[in-house]
Amino acid sequence: MYIELRDINKSYGSFKASDNVNFGIEKGKLVALLGPSGSGKTTILRMIAGLEKPDSGEIEIDGRVVNGIPASERGIGFVFQSYALFRYMTVFDNIAFGLKVRRMNKAEINERVNGLIKLIGLEGFGKRYPSQLSGGQRQRVAFARALAPNPQVLLLDEPFAAIDAKVRQELRKWLKDMIHQLGVTGIFVTHDQDEAIEVSDEIIVTNKGRVDQTGTPIDIYRHPTTAFTSSFFGVTSELSDYMSFRSFDDIGEYDKAIVRPEFVKITKKNEFQKYKSSAVEGVVRDAQFRGNSIEVTVNCNNSTFSARRGLDEPAVEIGEKVDVFIYRIFVTHGDDVKLLKNNALREETVVI
Amino acid sequence: MKTNKRLIPGFGISMGITLALLSIMVLIPLASLVVFTAKMDLSDIIKVITRPRVVASFEVSLLTSFIASVINAVMGVILAWVLVRYDFPGKRILDGMIELPFALPTAVAGISLTSLYADTGWIGGLFADMGIKIAYTRVGITIALIFIGIPFVVRTVQPVLEKIDPLYEEAAGILGASRTRIFRKVILPELRPAVFTGFGLAFGRCLGEYGSVVFIAGNQPYETEITPLIIMSELQEYDYPSATAIALVMLAAAFLILFLVNLIQIGNSKILKGGH
Amino acid sequence: MAAENAEKTAPVISREGSTEIHAKTAGSKAVKIILITVSVLFLFVMLVMPLITVIYEAFRKGLAPYLEAISDPDTVSALLLTLEATVIAVVINTVFGLFAAWAISKFRFHGKKVLVTLIDLPVTVSPIIAGLIFVLTFGRQSVIYPFLESIDFMVVYAVPGIILATVFVTFPFISREILPVLDAQGTDEEEAAALMGAKGFTIFRRITLPHIKWALMYGIVLCAARAMGEFGAVSVLSGHLRGKTVTLPLQVEILFGDNKFMPAFAVSSILVVLAILILIVRSIVEYVGKRKKGENSQS
Repeated sequence: MYIELRDINKSYGSFKASDNVNFGIEKGKLVALLGPSGSGKTTILRMIAGLEKPDSGEIEIDGRVVNGIPASERGIGFVFQSYALFRYMTVFDNIAFGLKVRRMNKAEINERVNGLIKLIGLEGFGKRYPSQLSGGQRQRVAFARALAPNPQVLLLDEPFAAIDAKVRQELRKWLKDMIHQLGVTGIFVTHDQDEAIEVSDEIIVTNKGRVDQTGTPIDIYRHPTTAFTSSFFGVTSELSDYMSFRSFDDIGEYDKAIVRPEFVKITKKNEFQKYKSSAVEGVVRDAQFRGNSIEVTVNCNNSTFSARRGLDEPAVEIGEKVDVFIYRIFVTHGDDVKLLKNNALREETVVI
Repeated sequence: MKTNKRLIPGFGISMGITLALLSIMVLIPLASLVVFTAKMDLSDIIKVITRPRVVASFEVSLLTSFIASVINAVMGVILAWVLVRYDFPGKRILDGMIELPFALPTAVAGISLTSLYADTGWIGGLFADMGIKIAYTRVGITIALIFIGIPFVVRTVQPVLEKIDPLYEEAAGILGASRTRIFRKVILPELRPAVFTGFGLAFGRCLGEYGSVVFIAGNQPYETEITPLIIMSELQEYDYPSATAIALVMLAAAFLILFLVNLIQIGNSKILKGGH
Repeated sequence: MAAENAEKTAPVISREGSTEIHAKTAGSKAVKIILITVSVLFLFVMLVMPLITVIYEAFRKGLAPYLEAISDPDTVSALLLTLEATVIAVVINTVFGLFAAWAISKFRFHGKKVLVTLIDLPVTVSPIIAGLIFVLTFGRQSVIYPFLESIDFMVVYAVPGIILATVFVTFPFISREILPVLDAQGTDEEEAAALMGAKGFTIFRRITLPHIKWALMYGIVLCAARAMGEFGAVSVLSGHLRGKTVTLPLQVEILFGDNKFMPAFAVSSILVVLAILILIVRSIVEYVGKRKKGENSQS
């Protein structure tokens, strides 16, 4: 492992920001620290950077324990959430700052900074001040500034939080490509699951100061191993009593039964539904156009949840009675989560 | 949570220099006041501060400072209003002038106001014809204190007035409120804390003011003798215990005012931010 | 930063669209004229007339007596002492202000509020009390008086006392101007610089100083103005030894007390000119500072 955290604990007064945190990150990976606010993800990032000191535990980067090493000597680049660009310096001077501090000679600095300005696509903006740039441009400058001294690790604190939605999309892809191209190891903090899924190679889910689950985005999405990840990922709704839906196993005691829109199939009464015998009747409460699909919200067995219908399928109307079939359910009990598949699907495989 | 002692350098040295200079300049001198007070008898202190002449000086100082600060509160709101809401030639000069009492040495203000309001002066002469004396009376003291206190209310009210979102006024206007009603119900409540704060600061400054007042006051015991002047004369007679006793009363008054001002500000931020 | 921006720009933007309502609340033309007239008259009587009086009285007997009055050796030595005290006060308070503001705004520690209150204390006490506490500290009844006497270092009724009093009354002036700017700026930029390995002085000079430049200059101007004009505290500690412990304001007092009105106003006129200069510098500094800030925060 290139970066490794071992038994990290950190408290602020009575608030436990990190509770026995352990994980490792491979070289060259772009990793997302994902969790709701207050889950301790930023604290972890700041401890890796050396901006905070853990109360106990070890942080290792590239084979050496860095606990006692000051932030400036850890070989990391840090992109602040607010970017923290030096407002009274030009773009050029901002990027050059870390090099000047290292007493690099002028020619080398010029070459490196101009190279970075080109890399971030801001040629001709070198003499501008941060206040004269757009949010996305500022983000790129912050990125270039962090990269200038050639760090092996790049840490980013909510890198897209301050950018409007349209540019954000573009920057996400740009950042991902850039980090892979440069071969640095990147860790970024986000509270946005879409962002984590889209950008990262691997996700570390944090909750209440603990690491809840780590894995590739698809892994975590498909196989949440804790109650928290199962309800945090995706658009989720809760079923009040899953046993009232046909035909799931009874696992006895449980806390929550969670469905995602893609777990649910809604069909009009006159449409073909292969598993009609396992479907239950529901009433359409709402139908919203979502660009590439229609989100249909149904009320069914005292639960309200939604499903998607294609644009090419016949429209459903509000108040219409429909058939609702549920493929899968996440059922949580304590910290555990179980994926229940509809038995109708199993029977079919058996038959075939 | 955001700041880290170890990351940004210079905590030790800046804290060290700050505390060292603070100790030399403020803490040690104040401590000597405390030490000196501790050596005095409470009964002696009470004897000093209940001397009729001293009590009379409290009355003069409080009364003149209060009247001057009230006048400044009213004029301060008008001036701030004029400076924020109106455009007229010379506005910038008017705005710059507000600070004059801060920049002009108090002694200069003192002698200048004295000759202006003396019976032979330009303004004093006009009133003398009507049989009214200004210089060397409590009216004179009040005028000197008005001069000193002008900037306080203006400068606390001005930024608040600038920040009041015209939307509130628009909203009130759309609801059909009249001009005076908008001012009374919408603008004045917003300004009130700032006015009180400015009033408190001016009042505190007036109570302690010496330079601009001594010349115009006439310094008649029981009539126009202000408290700082009594302390000054005790000091000149090397009667340090009496000077200290009277100074303690003034300090207590100053802190009380400061405390009330803070209370108003805290109360106000509670309304605006809903707690903390 | 963003919030600050929003706060600053929002009223400006909305103000444009609402001039009508503004004009409505601002009142009719008559009210406007009355209020402006009242303001102008008030300031004219309270501020301008005293200034005119000083200049008028100073030149009442012509230019020659005026020049004679201000070139009086006592006056010249008073001017020099005033400058000395002012320069020392500005230097000490600038050093203090920078370090104190840095410590308070960039670090978290217990007792910060107490520290800020203590720093502000000197401006809340009466100048006479300021003088008194130095008399009690260094005067004849003080415990350290015998020691001071043995090394022949007099504070009360001597120049050191005047300087101490001047530093005291202007103590918070510079830190007070810088602190809000540093607070508003936050610690992000300094953290980023430190993270890149910059040392303390580099961070201060390259990152922090540009932010506080104008506030610092404004603070220095205010400090100088107050230091020059301090009367009460200096009066307590001076002893009024002519040519030795007399500053310009004290010289004014002495001359006025001796019924030498014309010379008193002549000396005052120097201080009036300095005061007006300070106001002009203040306006320029404030104007340029605001414009810079506007340039830098527009996005």
